[in-house]
Amino acid sequence: MAESRDDFIIAIRSAFLKKSTKQKFSLLTLVFFSIFIIVLSNFNFKAITVTKSIIKEIVYRSSFIVSIPENFIKSSYLNLNEYTNYYKEYKTTREELDQLKSENISTKIIKSENEELKSLIDGYSFTSNKILAKVIVDHESPFLRSIIINKGSKEKIKIGTNIYDRSYLVGRVIEVNYTNSRVLLLTDLNSNIPVSITPGNVQAIVVGNGDRKGEIKYIKNDLINKIFDKGIAYTSGTGSIFKSGIPVGTIDLKDKTEKILINFYSDFTQLKYVFAEIDELMPIAVEIEENEQTKFSSNTEQIKLDLISDELQILEESNTKFLEENQELNTLTNELNKQIEILKAENDFQKNVIQQHNLDQDELEFLRLNLIYSSKCQSKKLFSTGFKVGTPEYKECIMRKGKTSD
Amino acid sequence: MIKFEKKSLFYKVYIWLPILALFISVFNEFDLNYLNIDYFSFNFPFILIFYFALKAYQRFDYFLVFVAGLVNDTVVGLPLGLSSLSYMLICIFATYLRNITISPNLIKDWFYFLFIISLINSINYTVLFLFFSYELDITLFIVNNFFTFLFYIVFSIFFKRFLKSLDD
Repeated sequence: MAESRDDFIIAIRSAFLKKSTKQKFSLLTLVFFSIFIIVLSNFNFKAITVTKSIIKEIVYRSSFIVSIPENFIKSSYLNLNEYTNYYKEYKTTREELDQLKSENISTKIIKSENEELKSLIDGYSFTSNKILAKVIVDHESPFLRSIIINKGSKEKIKIGTNIYDRSYLVGRVIEVNYTNSRVLLLTDLNSNIPVSITPGNVQAIVVGNGDRKGEIKYIKNDLINKIFDKGIAYTSGTGSIFKSGIPVGTIDLKDKTEKILINFYSDFTQLKYVFAEIDELMPIAVEIEENEQTKFSSNTEQIKLDLISDELQILEESNTKFLEENQELNTLTNELNKQIEILKAENDFQKNVIQQHNLDQDELEFLRLNLIYSSKCQSKKLFSTGFKVGTPEYKECIMRKGKTSD
Repeated sequence: MIKFEKKSLFYKVYIWLPILALFISVFNEFDLNYLNIDYFSFNFPFILIFYFALKAYQRFDYFLVFVAGLVNDTVVGLPLGLSSLSYMLICIFATYLRNITISPNLIKDWFYFLFIISLINSINYTVLFLFFSYELDITLFIVNNFFTFLFYIVFSIFFKRFLKSLDD
């Protein structure tokens, strides 16, 4: 028993301490050294940070060079796959392009209005420049999903900088060196993205599933029914980790495990170049502010003017039509007025004729009665009751058939 | 069979091949990820380090293995020193096995290797989870462990041929 224990101790001692002629350090020394580095690397002393940064710079560059043959094989394999699906993808892309073109116009308007409103909210304006960065290392660990890009603090990249593939979100920077940075991909288990899901405007957190998809977590149970397949998830901007309104992916409810998954728009295994968004908070000086605002507003105004000019053209066309119709109606009215005047004249003439005819009838009646009753109404002697011929009284006496008074 | 002039440059490169392969694998993270096979990964450095430490290969410098661990941590994004510690532990266990073994047996080595990588992966998982607050999927660790164990037997055949070629 004691012998076997001695053998064990000798074997252990030998394993830890004995070093062959070719070995410079014993394993025990290196184990302690490893633990020392682990502990030391957690302190944020400047010397340690600089050393770590230098090691990383060297390793990333070396890794990029060493990876060239494997990357060549990888890209050849992927190219072969791409060629087989080339036609199918072409058709899909074309359809998508048509749809995007139509959506682009409305997006432009919304964007310019959004910028204008943002500049109104506070006196600061975010100037964001997207800089192109090359992915120099994309070796996925089985447990962690991250990439290394060739832009670092030299290009004003900071921890938290958003990284895009075209306009789709890829991840955020978690480690910055002078000329390169590490980007934590959205698929990583440590990645949490606050999102809004349309339709329904459901707020949720998407967590990477460590593989190729994201999983929706931290959502109210009663809101789960509001989520539909193929719904669009975009960043909500909650927590200011990611900017709002960046497309993330589409909902996938076909999973057998009943988890709500997200298919990311971007394929993170195919990233060659990405965009890093450099945000700078620029206070707007009074004079500059005016210019900037004028610029912003001029852009917006331009779009609005275009819209208004379109409306104006339509109005002018309809106005011309109305004017033409109006003129036609005026002409018709004038003609009708003329006809009315003619008819009036005719009417007056007819009336005159009738009046004349009535006068003639009265005269005729007077002459007839005059022949009968003139003796009764004429004054022949000095004390007679008659009237002088031609006077109105005489005429009235004749019309009353010789009666001199009522 | 390959025959070398012992002073030729090619021979010098050839005898350093295990270390070169180790550095290429840690720089490159050679794990056939681009094949996009779900739940497939294996740890080539573990296999290589265990085999050559077990065989006490003269050119397999532990310090270089330690440096390779640092490189791996930097490339993968793990806390600096963790892979070095894992590699050193593999070396210690392999040396211990070598010291207590009188007649080497591939199958026994194979299962001993499974025990070691399981232990080291458990240590890694615990350290990352408890001390560094990493969110990790234990399934991926188990799968990685399993495939590393499976591939050991395949790679050991190649490594045996390599050592034999040097002996010849």
